Amino acid sequence: MAHDLAKIQEIINRSPQSPGSLIAVLQDIQREFHYLPCEALEATASSLNVPLSKVFSVSTFYNAFSLNPRGERIIRICQGTACHIKGADLIQEQLVAGLGLKPGETSPDMKYTLEVVNCLGVCAMAPVVVVNDKIHGGVRCDKALKLVKKD
Amino acid sequence: MVQMTINGKVVKAPDGEMLLTVIRRQGIDVPALCDHAAVEPCGSCRMCLVEITREDWNGWKKYVTSCLYPSENGLIVSTHTPELQEIRRNIMDLYLARCPGSELVQKMAEEYGLTRTSYKTIPEGDNCIMCYACTRICEVLGRNAISAVHRGHAKVISGPFDDPPPDCIGCLSCANICPTDVIEWHDQDGTRAIWGRTFDLISCRQCGKGIITRDFAEYLKEKRQIPADYFEICDDCKRVELARKMGGLVDLAKEVAS
Repeated sequence: MAHDLAKIQEIINRSPQSPGSLIAVLQDIQREFHYLPCEALEATASSLNVPLSKVFSVSTFYNAFSLNPRGERIIRICQGTACHIKGADLIQEQLVAGLGLKPGETSPDMKYTLEVVNCLGVCAMAPVVVVNDKIHGGVRCDKALKLVKKD
Repeated sequence: MVQMTINGKVVKAPDGEMLLTVIRRQGIDVPALCDHAAVEPCGSCRMCLVEITREDWNGWKKYVTSCLYPSENGLIVSTHTPELQEIRRNIMDLYLARCPGSELVQKMAEEYGLTRTSYKTIPEGDNCIMCYACTRICEVLGRNAISAVHRGHAKVISGPFDDPPPDCIGCLSCANICPTDVIEWHDQDGTRAIWGRTFDLISCRQCGKGIITRDFAEYLKEKRQIPADYFEICDDCKRVELARKMGGLVDLAKEVAS
């Protein structure tokens, strides 16, 4: 996939051009493109004077970074203990069927990415579904699909 | 200089020198897998754990990796307490599960009475102990061709994008420093294969033996001001030539003397 190299460079230039900016720059690129394109990693390495091997190492280490394209809307279903007890499985079933995606997959139109996470730390609101960064508590399985499509 | 006590003996050491270095200078054998003089310590293998305490800690003590702990005044260090030996035995047990095929791991484990692991052996294990010696030496050489990618049990040493590393020059530093001999390479028909790449070898002009990869030779010439013809003849042939020259000198000396 071809990317706007000028845009990538503009994002990189927002931070101080030193190795210490690596994670901040990768976060900014991730926010813009929803993943880290190869070209962006190469541009980051040469601009910040960090070896490409290290850039790749860092971008594969953190869960916050993805090397595969992700959808506009990232849906995270919590499968932590409390959510699990409160029927997260049923919600997952509904979303998997409704979106036609398995956990970890992105729809071909790049609209949705479905993910399963182990705990979001808001167990009192169980069962929880996160759409982009908005947390929805007390989700009902019959309304889950509508919820993730609406927002 | 600082003054410490190591296994009951008063020892002086330069301020800030790592404990492992000081301990080993005392002739005490503390095991380590990831430690190597050519690279900075990283504390990954955990075998060099020692117990430290101080007079004013009221009996409180803690375990630290001695390769990463700087010497300081008043430190009381123990290197072979039963607790430490038990910790080291457990670590070797885990290494044995991860690297059942490594001779060094087997040998070290045997010192703790382990001939087989009590854990489940990793079936697809590759004997890598993730000590980063290879990535650290690659960094020292200024290439940074390889690094640790992914995380947790999926972590492997690899080039960027999991491809053959473009910055590799086939110097074999990684393969030579690897404590468990995991990094595969082979020389064949004037080429060297390593990390999924193939390099041209410079052959000795006299005996035809492969000396060094062309890329590594170029890199050294650029970085170290080595004469352009330095790698044309292998070390063995250089010695032979030198011996021949020395022989000539002896003959010459005899002539001059007579």
